[in-house]
Amino acid sequence: MALATERAGFKQLAVEDFRITEEPYYLPINDEVQLFETAYRENVPVLLKGPTGAGKTRFVEYMSWRLHNRDGLGHAEGVPLITVACHEDLTASDLVGRYLLEGDETRWIDGPISRAVKNGAICYLDEIVEARKDTTVLIHPLTDYRRLLPIDKRGELLEAADGFLLVMSYNPGYQSALKDLKHSTRQRFIAIEFDYPPREQESQIIAKESGVDPAIAMDLAKLAEKVRNLKEHGLGEGVSTRLLVYAGKLIHDGITPRRACQVSIVWALTDDQEVQRSIEEVVSSIFE
Amino acid sequence: MSRATDLSIQYATQLQGYGASLPEDFLAAATELEGRLTPADLDAWAAAGIELAGSSLRAWEAAAEYFRASPAVVDRLGFEGTRAWSRIAADLSQRSSLMAAAFLKSTPLMLENIGVDQLEAWAQQGDRLCRGNWKSIALSSLYFQVSPRILQSISFEAAGQVVDIVDNLTERSYELATTCMETAPLLFAALPPTDREPFLRFARAVARASWADIRLYFERGPKLLEGVAPGERPRFLDLASRVTAEVGRQGFPLFSDASQALASLPGELHGGLLAFAERLSIGSPTAAMEYLKSSPFVSSRLNQQQMTRWAEAGAAILQDEHNREGAEAYFRLESSRAEEMLASLSARVELANVNLLLRMYAKALSGESVAVQSAEALVERNIGWVTEASASSDGSAIYLPPFVATFEDQAANFQVYKVFTTHQTARMEFGSFRYEFAQPGAHAPATAAAREGRVADVRAARAAEAGTPSKEVIAPVTSMQRYFNMFDDRSLILGLFTIAEDTRIDARTRVEYGGIRRWLTLLQEHEANHRPNIETMGLRQAFLENVLRASLGKPDTMRFPRSLNEYLKRAVAALKVVELSEATVQDSAEVAAALYDIAYMIPNVPQSMADGKFEAMEENMYAVQAGLPGDGEGSTSSDMPSGEEMEFENPPQPEFRGDFKPELVQLMARLRGESQEGEGGETTPLTREQLMELLANSAELSMGDMGDSEMADIDMMIENFEQAAKKSEGTETSEPQFGSGEGAEDDDGGGGDGGESDLPAQIEWFYYDEWDFRALDYRPRWTRVGERFSEEGDGEFYQETLRKYHGLVMETRRQFELMRPESFKRIKRLEDGEELDLDLALEFYVDKKAGIGPQARIYSRRNKVERDVAVAFLLDMSASTDEEIEKRPQQYDDADDFDGDPRKYFQWLAARRAKSALEPPKRIIDLEKESTVLIVEALEAIGDAYGIFGFSGYGRDNVEFHVVKNLDEQMSDKVRKRIGKIEPIRSTRMGPAIRHTIQKLDEYAAKVKILILVSDGRPQDHGYGRDRTEKEYAVHDTKQALLEAKRKGITPFLITVDKEGHDYLKQMCDDIGYEVVDDLSTLPRRLPTLYRHLAAE
Repeated sequence: MALATERAGFKQLAVEDFRITEEPYYLPINDEVQLFETAYRENVPVLLKGPTGAGKTRFVEYMSWRLHNRDGLGHAEGVPLITVACHEDLTASDLVGRYLLEGDETRWIDGPISRAVKNGAICYLDEIVEARKDTTVLIHPLTDYRRLLPIDKRGELLEAADGFLLVMSYNPGYQSALKDLKHSTRQRFIAIEFDYPPREQESQIIAKESGVDPAIAMDLAKLAEKVRNLKEHGLGEGVSTRLLVYAGKLIHDGITPRRACQVSIVWALTDDQEVQRSIEEVVSSIFE
Repeated sequence: MSRATDLSIQYATQLQGYGASLPEDFLAAATELEGRLTPADLDAWAAAGIELAGSSLRAWEAAAEYFRASPAVVDRLGFEGTRAWSRIAADLSQRSSLMAAAFLKSTPLMLENIGVDQLEAWAQQGDRLCRGNWKSIALSSLYFQVSPRILQSISFEAAGQVVDIVDNLTERSYELATTCMETAPLLFAALPPTDREPFLRFARAVARASWADIRLYFERGPKLLEGVAPGERPRFLDLASRVTAEVGRQGFPLFSDASQALASLPGELHGGLLAFAERLSIGSPTAAMEYLKSSPFVSSRLNQQQMTRWAEAGAAILQDEHNREGAEAYFRLESSRAEEMLASLSARVELANVNLLLRMYAKALSGESVAVQSAEALVERNIGWVTEASASSDGSAIYLPPFVATFEDQAANFQVYKVFTTHQTARMEFGSFRYEFAQPGAHAPATAAAREGRVADVRAARAAEAGTPSKEVIAPVTSMQRYFNMFDDRSLILGLFTIAEDTRIDARTRVEYGGIRRWLTLLQEHEANHRPNIETMGLRQAFLENVLRASLGKPDTMRFPRSLNEYLKRAVAALKVVELSEATVQDSAEVAAALYDIAYMIPNVPQSMADGKFEAMEENMYAVQAGLPGDGEGSTSSDMPSGEEMEFENPPQPEFRGDFKPELVQLMARLRGESQEGEGGETTPLTREQLMELLANSAELSMGDMGDSEMADIDMMIENFEQAAKKSEGTETSEPQFGSGEGAEDDDGGGGDGGESDLPAQIEWFYYDEWDFRALDYRPRWTRVGERFSEEGDGEFYQETLRKYHGLVMETRRQFELMRPESFKRIKRLEDGEELDLDLALEFYVDKKAGIGPQARIYSRRNKVERDVAVAFLLDMSASTDEEIEKRPQQYDDADDFDGDPRKYFQWLAARRAKSALEPPKRIIDLEKESTVLIVEALEAIGDAYGIFGFSGYGRDNVEFHVVKNLDEQMSDKVRKRIGKIEPIRSTRMGPAIRHTIQKLDEYAAKVKILILVSDGRPQDHGYGRDRTEKEYAVHDTKQALLEAKRKGITPFLITVDKEGHDYLKQMCDDIGYEVVDDLSTLPRRLPTLYRHLAAE
């Protein structure tokens, strides 16, 4: 961590130097770990599909940690993970880099994707559909056999270092025609589907993450299952595992289960009063 | 010779001239009086009579009565009194001898009630009725005739009031007056003494206010009063009198309704109700009566204390707010406040109000798209369910009773609904309907196959013994049917299976839904405390009842003969098996079979034949270990009591568990599967025979007495079944809606897929409140709006309009297209952006060099601003739009006029006629249509979402709402044709039409929403106001509706072609935009311009 400057109170370091040093908790549901490892080995970009809070980001972190010291590539503490949260104003230069004025001079600053390409990191573009369409086109040459990143402003081509992998996440839940991935983009990735874990596993995750009693974790998972039944019947999205973990944490810290579910699940999910009441009734059926 | 004979001889000639009986009457009376009067008095008496007889043509009749009555009168009054009497009679006779006769005849009887001093007054009473014509004379005579009988019931003064009333009536109808007079004696005799005078007082009030009602009152009044508590009647009548004095003609109908209302309530409440009504009557007599009228309805929902609070809230409107109309609407239950108050106080929970909530709840729990419907709907389908008041499920929908009022508190009753729903969804979730024949359970081994074999053998043997050929076995349709087929007593096995399965479901629910445990327990206790009396049951039925009590978790309420305790203990142990975790429906079936074997041994004899009384169990039943009886345990039935058995009936099902019909549900599922798979399905389709067999045998159809004659019913039911199976595929998306407060929503989201519009008469109904400006409150669900697609005409009108206004169309299109460029806007001075703004960059560089240190805001960006406008046009299709537009004077300008040359006249005339034939007179509606065409063309250019609707109708429950184009519908030929077909229909009830349009706009997602109402005049409709001429009400309601639009973020705008519109529009629109289009023909031009202004905001 050469560039890390450590001062009292906080730590500041360059994105490419960030390593996940402790094992993130991730409970494999299917063969996704094996799939990802193979894709990494074979330089096949990965698209993670699934609803929000189903564990996509956690999975990438876990993989970045897990892939450490792979085949002597020298990432002794795991593969660097560079995450970009996409939004609708994300421009190409935000990703690739731009010139900055420094006195009378200009100085080139690499964007996150350039850094990842140079350092052989996993570049994780979170919620890619949010980005503007011209931005997504930019990554095309990186995703096929070429593994090149053109930098127009400098007239350069960057070749991806070994270990670089592009990973994107995408939530098909917001299916509006405006925000769908272009076929030319999506056909460059293998897709791993994420869904909410089955009741047993989900309760395990909740218990582990929140420290709540297993019986309550089980009830929370049961509640989640019931609430998810309401998807497209008043609810746009089912309740995420993340929210369940929040609820678990509140309960663990002494908030009553009904209240905890109200603030972390019912009110977080919807503003529709009728739907809110329905979910609250389910909550009050499950928790005393 | 007596003096009497002398006199009769003396007057013989005078007496002779008249009727045959007169001499005899005279002689008889004279003979009788001879001893009592002095000769001089007797002479005077006789002279008076003779004089009377001669006083007019038919006076001899009066004289006859005089003679006949005299002995009795003399007895009472003495000679002086009698003289006075005869003088009165003589006076009366001057008017009419008939009257005098009636008077004289009635006197002896009358004297039992009045003294001599009142005779004169009495005569005057009768005399008052006489107006000289024969009808009045008859009436007056009638009075004299009936008065003795009237006076038996009421005082002399009160009788005078009767005369007043009748006298009043004579001004209208003698027939009516006569009828009343005839009925009066009986009427008063029938009334209890204390009621008589109040009754009369109210009668006077009615006679004054609405004379025609008096006969009704005389006929029905006593009967109506019977419903009122005896002590309270005078009070009620006096209240009614006061009310009638104020409200006039409404008085009697109000009285009649109020007394019927009181009759339906227990008498001890009447005092309190009347006391409160009296309080109200000070401010508003109508409110007082309306209060009484509403009280039965209100008391069906509220207890007494709550009712008082409800009424006090209404009284506050009257007394504190001084809003008389408001209070009257409140007590008439025609105000939202009244309903809200009722709902908030009432403990009762209506399904309609919680339906949506429970539907989502059920959907969440079961994961299936279940509809929640009123149990009434299931009963109507006639497929075997008959109880409206209990919950049930047909496997795809949950049916709940229309309301719950089990507890005294709303929240608790909602919990009851929740338990109902949970139990029904749990049946789906935990597989009550998924029984599979001969599959083992989690705890019980599968014995069904072995049993089936055994039963077949026994039945074959039985048939052989009886010598009947064994019946052809029809293959069972479902597993459940096959299971039930194994038992001889299908009703018994159904009862036991229901208990076992419900016990399992309850146990499962307790484990899975910890939060509902408390309420489930509460309801179980409630049920256990309301079980029927076990003492009257037969032994087998009592056995089942006991098992049921055990299943409710209350084995301490079990009662059975001690000697048979062992059987019950075995049953409880078996029942506990289904309470074990992971138990499945297979376990329930096995347990039910085991219970059947036990129950079957117990004869259904009355308690008296059993060895002991029904007593509590010796052992602690809570401690019994779960376990099925072993094979050896089925001990012989030798120790059983014997005797004549009672008819067996399953004990009533606890309310919260509801009806359970697994056989029918499995059948439904099977049929549903068939209709989904169609012809090529794997399962062989059911034969009618099979269906018949199932339905005829099933114990789930509660028609125990169904004979062959009722096979037709089964036929019908089979058809219903097949239909129900087909229908339930489709219903999941479009469940029938229960009206909610704001009016039921439709799910179809506009139905713009065109296909629906082919069905002509498809009307969807919506309910809306209406604003009552007097009451300052909404009248809940007052109007009913029927939405339908407009009929289609030919597209010619549309094309024709385009041709005619070719220039204008082009112009407006161009203007509208100019509005488009707004859609991209360049935003400058950004720190970051897509383009560098050269000017700014230069400036920045210079500044920087100069050392000013500016900010580097040198980028610009194009921001996409999407036009997001939705507009709804609401066209007035009332009959008045049929009117021709006033011809403007310039059409008849001089140049066009006939110039006076007679030779050319015909030529001129023909030309003019041809011209007017070419251009038929234009109506207002035509202009509305043409404007629509123009605006449609313009809007297509700009791309805003728009809807076109027309409205008309008649009365509050039939507001027609015609959809020409829905907001999300694409422009099409259909729409063009519909525009062509817009025609004037009936009235203009604007409020509901506006509210329905608001509803449509509200559901549509757009940033800017506009409602444009095009009308030709003020709102009016039948019943849209207090009476025909009142305009205020309609104007206020429309204004309120427009305000509602504003509140929903919709910009309302009103365009009217009514030149006199300014006066009411100012009031109606307040700060809402409106325009009066003076020159009608400019409307097509004006509308697009207006729209541009509105939508540009």
